[in-house]
Amino acid sequence: MEYWKDESEPIKAFVELFQRALHDEELAQGMKKVNQLIWFDYTEDGPNCSFHVDSRGGQTKIGAGKPEEQPDLVMSLSADDAHRSWSNKLNPVMAITRRKIRVKGSATGLLKLATKLKKIAVVYEGVLKDLGWEDKIMK
Amino acid sequence: MWGNTGRIIRVDLSRGSIELQSLPEDYYRKYIGGSGLAARVFWEWGNFSIDPLAPEAMLIFMNGPLAGLRLSGASRSSVAGRSPLTGHWGDSSCGGYFAPELKYAGYDGIVITGRAPNPALMLIEDDRVALVDAGDYWGKGIEQVTGGLKKAYGKNYRTLVIGPAGERLVKYAIILNEGHHAFGRAGFGAVMGSKNLKAIVVNAKNKREVSLADPIAFAALRKELNPKIKQALASTVMHENGTAANLEGGVHTGDVPIRNFTSNFWEEMAEALTGSTLTEKYLTHHGACAFCGVACKRVVEVKEGPFAIPKGPGPEYETIVAFGSLMGSMDLAATCKAGRVCNNLGVDTISAGGTIAWAMEAFEKGHLTKEDTDGVELHWGDMETVIDVVLPKIADREGKLGQLLAEGSASAAHQIGQDSIRYAVHGKGLEVPMHDPRGGGHGLALTYAISHRGACHVAYPMLFMEMGACYYPEIGFEFELEPMTDQYKPETAVIAVSLGSIENSACYCQFADREISIPEWVQLFNTVAGYQWDADEMMRAGRRVFYLQRLMNYRYGLTSKDDVLSSRLLEPAEDGAPEGIEINFSAMKEKFYELMNLDPEKGIPSGEALQKCGMGEEASQVW
Repeated sequence: MEYWKDESEPIKAFVELFQRALHDEELAQGMKKVNQLIWFDYTEDGPNCSFHVDSRGGQTKIGAGKPEEQPDLVMSLSADDAHRSWSNKLNPVMAITRRKIRVKGSATGLLKLATKLKKIAVVYEGVLKDLGWEDKIMK
Repeated sequence: MWGNTGRIIRVDLSRGSIELQSLPEDYYRKYIGGSGLAARVFWEWGNFSIDPLAPEAMLIFMNGPLAGLRLSGASRSSVAGRSPLTGHWGDSSCGGYFAPELKYAGYDGIVITGRAPNPALMLIEDDRVALVDAGDYWGKGIEQVTGGLKKAYGKNYRTLVIGPAGERLVKYAIILNEGHHAFGRAGFGAVMGSKNLKAIVVNAKNKREVSLADPIAFAALRKELNPKIKQALASTVMHENGTAANLEGGVHTGDVPIRNFTSNFWEEMAEALTGSTLTEKYLTHHGACAFCGVACKRVVEVKEGPFAIPKGPGPEYETIVAFGSLMGSMDLAATCKAGRVCNNLGVDTISAGGTIAWAMEAFEKGHLTKEDTDGVELHWGDMETVIDVVLPKIADREGKLGQLLAEGSASAAHQIGQDSIRYAVHGKGLEVPMHDPRGGGHGLALTYAISHRGACHVAYPMLFMEMGACYYPEIGFEFELEPMTDQYKPETAVIAVSLGSIENSACYCQFADREISIPEWVQLFNTVAGYQWDADEMMRAGRRVFYLQRLMNYRYGLTSKDDVLSSRLLEPAEDGAPEGIEINFSAMKEKFYELMNLDPEKGIPSGEALQKCGMGEEASQVW
């Protein structure tokens, strides 16, 4: 991995990112609209390198690892590309076309979140700063 | 001959004569089918000095070699000829069910000249081709006529029908298959109308099998391609929410035009008009073209309100934007009704939307007054007036307003003057589709300008290439493009024009074929038609089609000076993601001309370039 020391680092950052996003009204609303159980699967970088977001039923829950229930959508990619993606430095369409991101299930909900990527990147930068990982911030 | 049938129907409506003809086999190999083959046929038989609405004008329907194969995205066909809207070469593509039926009946295409003395329809039943009186259908809407034809002949008869707009020679009249699938662009419904031809009806009772060069290899390829196309992310998204699935995303990138391209951002509109909202509110079920597993078509019902419509064909992305944000409206129900009315009257929603949006701006600026509009007030977002008053006036050419707007935005702007051409948003007279290149991608600006058809988003796949949906390392397309710059755009356009010409000549859906790799394309042509191509030879065929269409426009009087964009699109956007960014258009065009060996004055390929593509005969007619 180019950006991460071990598989726990990216999950720590990404779970925190989503927790903080819940405190932003616009992003929280955006996640509600997704209304899916999504598994962000980075296990190509380690067996525990994944997290999930469950925004079904109007409440959003975030947890490390694979969800117990069958996810509506699985997004598989490397933890480095996930870092680029949350930093808004990865064109998701291009990444999917070139198989850097593999998607299983309905991505309709995710399209709603895609429009918020710019704002997510701002929150993510704050997360990296607070975790003392300013060196990981992409300019 | 493999893939193709080798036969076309040639009809002279003035004389009532019908002949079956064969085309030279090398036409197919060199120009593929559809858009390319139609151009080559016209080059051979057509006359460049004839008015597109004169009886002698030629109207060509042409299939590609893949029509009728049980393959997602392959059941499209082309119509071509001199466009009454633009005055130069034009073509338009249509999905649905006509192409396979024509192939099964034993034909690759239909070439029509003349004018029937009375309203007629062409009936094709295998080897029997006849002209039948259509007096009872004349003057009626497409929905009624399609229903009537199905009742008269049977539901398995496939129909192409024009509406009142085609009969009255509205310059952007369409031809509709099964009341749902449109040959939408460039006004060929008016050409049919000028020939007194209300409909073409085809049924293959004996269903001839398509003979294939290598049936076993094709079957194996088909087994791979169909699930690959169906399961692709873009396909599942479009199945779920239609071609407007990513409208919301487009608003945020500045791709979606607002109020006649005066704005590139309107946040509340994004969710109101996007595909998932259409699904939630009005979708009753999905529709599909023949053999397509994607099924991106919408069937909708609006149960109540001023725009209530019964269950039937729903709007595509282009219609939603043209009758939504482009006119300053975010009423999704209105777009459903507008689309239905346009279908029934037989007008292209893109050109109608562009023309009406132009008129709204002209009215706002005082360049059009109530005296010009028969007292009708044209205001942004007033969709009841658009649907109940303006569209019927256009289709009937009723009054000053109907006559003016039936000509299209560029012509209407020239008529009223007062600098209103500055905000008629068109390319070579064809209204720009609902992708603003300032946000959608600067390469799109280039391909809008250099397209033979006029500004068109599906002439070439530049839009998809700029958004990152294409990756073709085998032919050198590995660029990671940034939409809002000119970097690598001329180089990309060189690949795009060949690919787009292949797609439109093979008559393949540009949504479905994004999943087809270059080696798979080559395999398709070789297993179906036995061309024994490699990737270079296939790309050369695409370039040949592009070159031929440039030569044709040159013979209509177009030169390099006509490869331009409306001034509005060259002004920096005033808001949204592309705010303040200027398109470096001249530099892109110059580089593209250089890479494609196009003469900087004439706009046509050099004699040497034509020779390299095996077009010595064509070269001798222009150099």
